[in-house]
Amino acid sequence: MLLLCASLLPCAWGQAQPAGTAASSAATPGVARAGVVKRLVGTVTLVRAGQAPTPLQPGAVLRVGDTLRTGADGAVGVTLADDTLLTAGANTELVLSAFAFDATTQDGQVQVSLWRGTLAMVTGLIGKKAPEKVNVQTRTVVLGVRGTEFIVDATGAVQ
Amino acid sequence: MSGQHNRVRALTARLCLGSLIALGGCAQVTDRVILLPQPDGQPSAVEVASGSQRLLLTQPYAVAERHDGTLRLVKTDAAAVQQAYGAMLAQQPARPRSFIVQFEANANRLAPGAESVVAEMRAALAALPAAELIVTGHTDRVGSVEANDKLSLARAEAVREILVAAGVARAAVTVVGRGEREPLVPTADEVAEARNRRVEIKIR
Repeated sequence: MLLLCASLLPCAWGQAQPAGTAASSAATPGVARAGVVKRLVGTVTLVRAGQAPTPLQPGAVLRVGDTLRTGADGAVGVTLADDTLLTAGANTELVLSAFAFDATTQDGQVQVSLWRGTLAMVTGLIGKKAPEKVNVQTRTVVLGVRGTEFIVDATGAVQ
Repeated sequence: MSGQHNRVRALTARLCLGSLIALGGCAQVTDRVILLPQPDGQPSAVEVASGSQRLLLTQPYAVAERHDGTLRLVKTDAAAVQQAYGAMLAQQPARPRSFIVQFEANANRLAPGAESVVAEMRAALAALPAAELIVTGHTDRVGSVEANDKLSLARAEAVREILVAAGVARAAVTVVGRGEREPLVPTADEVAEARNRRVEIKIR
């Protein structure tokens, strides 16, 4: 993961950005609450730096830098703070590499890395305001989004 | 899911065999990006880049496939997407839904008619797993941007208290003040416009 990050991405993407303003109480200071798990089926694991992998439940909070891993029977749907819908299919490893969202101005950025498996994405308010701030990548392709719903399938990437 | 994927892969293998005969080579698809239609029928697009190559998807069900290191444009359809990705799409979270309540001028009092909107919202909320409410206050353009940021947040907080009093969990509610940035009805500055004095209750 770290090697891939070093070779494929500027790792600054993984840094949490300060979010929220005086007119917004959207974020608890110091905790980057980037998204919430809404639905899941089968085996879905959260991998967070410095913690043992934990099975996920609906209602769990996703933070910047978190990795979602699903088993052969797994799938999970997450809603990010800007209304982006991220859904991972089976045998998937997906990283929320960067996320920032200011609820008052609706400025921010989304960076998702699909290292294997499948992803369905519906872009949210950041994509509406500044589509160039929404980026999705696999090991070999980079997507630029213009207010959209799409599927990314990297199933064939790691055979 | 994996069974469906295996079927897709088996299909790919058969197509591959065909191209082996026709083209004398067989390439592996490593990545696939499928543009889905927007529910409201609005146009949308995804640009897919691989190395120096770029492909723009603009039509629903257009597919960018990375084939032996090269991107190429193909097509799929709703039935094939459902077959291959239906199990994933079944876990897609509900799309956010918004309810609007109006405010009286320069005040934190709800305008008449708000109760029925809140009741409708509560009914929809009950169906959502791990529900969140984002309560966003808006103002008209009378007053400064800073004053309207404060007023809009105060309106959002007033609505939060109404919702909490009605039994909504406080922890599920986020309040946002968006000031005069997002008028429902565009106006010149300093114009009083009742329809812009509102609070949006978004549930997801």
